[in-house]
Amino acid sequence: MSAPRVLIIIPAHNEEASLPRTLAEVRAKAPDVDVLIVDDGSRDDTATVARAAGVPVVRHPVNLGVGGALQTGFRYAVERGYDIGVQLDADGQHDPAYLEVLLAPMRTGTCDVSIGSRYVESTGYRAPWNRRLGMLLFSGVVKLALGQRITDTTSGFRAYSLPVMRICQHDFPKDFPDAPLLIALARRGFRLAEVPVVMRERQAGQSFYTLGKQLYYPYKNILASIMAFIRRPV
Amino acid sequence: MEFLSRTQIITALSAVALALYVLDLVRRRRLGEEYSLLWVIATAVIAILGFSTPLLRAITHALGMLGEASTVFAFGLAFAIAMLLYFSTKLSRLGLENHMLSRELALLRHELEEMRGSAGKEPR
Repeated sequence: MSAPRVLIIIPAHNEEASLPRTLAEVRAKAPDVDVLIVDDGSRDDTATVARAAGVPVVRHPVNLGVGGALQTGFRYAVERGYDIGVQLDADGQHDPAYLEVLLAPMRTGTCDVSIGSRYVESTGYRAPWNRRLGMLLFSGVVKLALGQRITDTTSGFRAYSLPVMRICQHDFPKDFPDAPLLIALARRGFRLAEVPVVMRERQAGQSFYTLGKQLYYPYKNILASIMAFIRRPV
Repeated sequence: MEFLSRTQIITALSAVALALYVLDLVRRRRLGEEYSLLWVIATAVIAILGFSTPLLRAITHALGMLGEASTVFAFGLAFAIAMLLYFSTKLSRLGLENHMLSRELALLRHELEEMRGSAGKEPR
C-alpha cells in the first residue's frame, strides 16, 4: 500500500499576522505535506498572505466558524483524494514537528481520529482556570458518554481519516468541533486516540473563543453532547 | 340569541380583517401559501370565538377561564407562541442552508481561480 496522502487544513480568521510564520514552519518541518488554508471570512489580508506563500486558499464569503472551515477542508480533501486530514491552528499554537506523532496511530490503523493533547502527559502547558474548568467538565462529559477518557477535548490539533472526513463534510457541529463531535464520531463506531504534544501560546491575532462565547459555550456544548449521545447514529 | 358585546364585535371584525389582509398578501405573492395557513387558521378560530357567544362561553367554562376575553387572548397567545417556534425552526434551517451554500460557493470560487490559473488575482 502506498503512503497515505495527508492534507494539513488550516482554518484562518483574520490571521494575517501569524499565518506567514505558521506556514513557514509547516514548510520547514513537514515539507512533503500539502497544505490548505480555509480563510473563514477574514477582513484582513489572510488570503493574500497565504497565496504569497504559495498555498491554496479557499475563502468563505462570510465567517462560518472553525467547524465550517474544517468542513470545507474535509470536502476539499475528499474530492482531491487525500487519505488523512490534519487540523492545525493558524496562530502558531501547534508545532508541525509533532505531525508524525499525531499521524503515527493513523498510519498503523489503530484509530480514525487522532487528537494532539496537552494533558496526556505533563507538557508544561498551564491553561487559565476557566479553561481548565471547562476542559475538566467536557472531559467528564465525554467520559460519561463514551467510557473513554479524552483529556483534551478542545484540542485543535487533530488528524481525521478519510471515512471520518466523508461523514463530517456533510454533518459537523457548526461552531465548536469538540466534545459533541467526539461523542458523535465515537457513536458512529470511529475510534479516537490521544497523543501527547506540546502546545505554545498563540503568536498573534484573536482567539476564536471570545468572552461572549465563553458564556454560551458550556450551555451549547453540554446540550450538543447530550444530543450527540441520544441521537441515533446514522 | 344573545347580543354580541362590543369587545366581541371588535375582536371578530379584527380577525376577519386580518384574514383578508393575509389572503391579499398571498394574492400579491408577498406571503407564501405555506406561511398563510397558520395565519388563516388562527384568524378563523378567533373570528368564530368572537361571533359565537355560546361556544365562547362553553370553552371559557371548560377551561376555567375568568372571562370570555381571556379565552380569546389565550388562543391568540398560543398562536403567537406557535408562530415564533415555527420561525425559530425556519431560521435554523435557513442558517444551515446558508452555511452549506457559503462553503459550496467558497470551493467553487477556488476551482474557478485554479482553472483561470490566476490564484494570485482577486476574482471580481
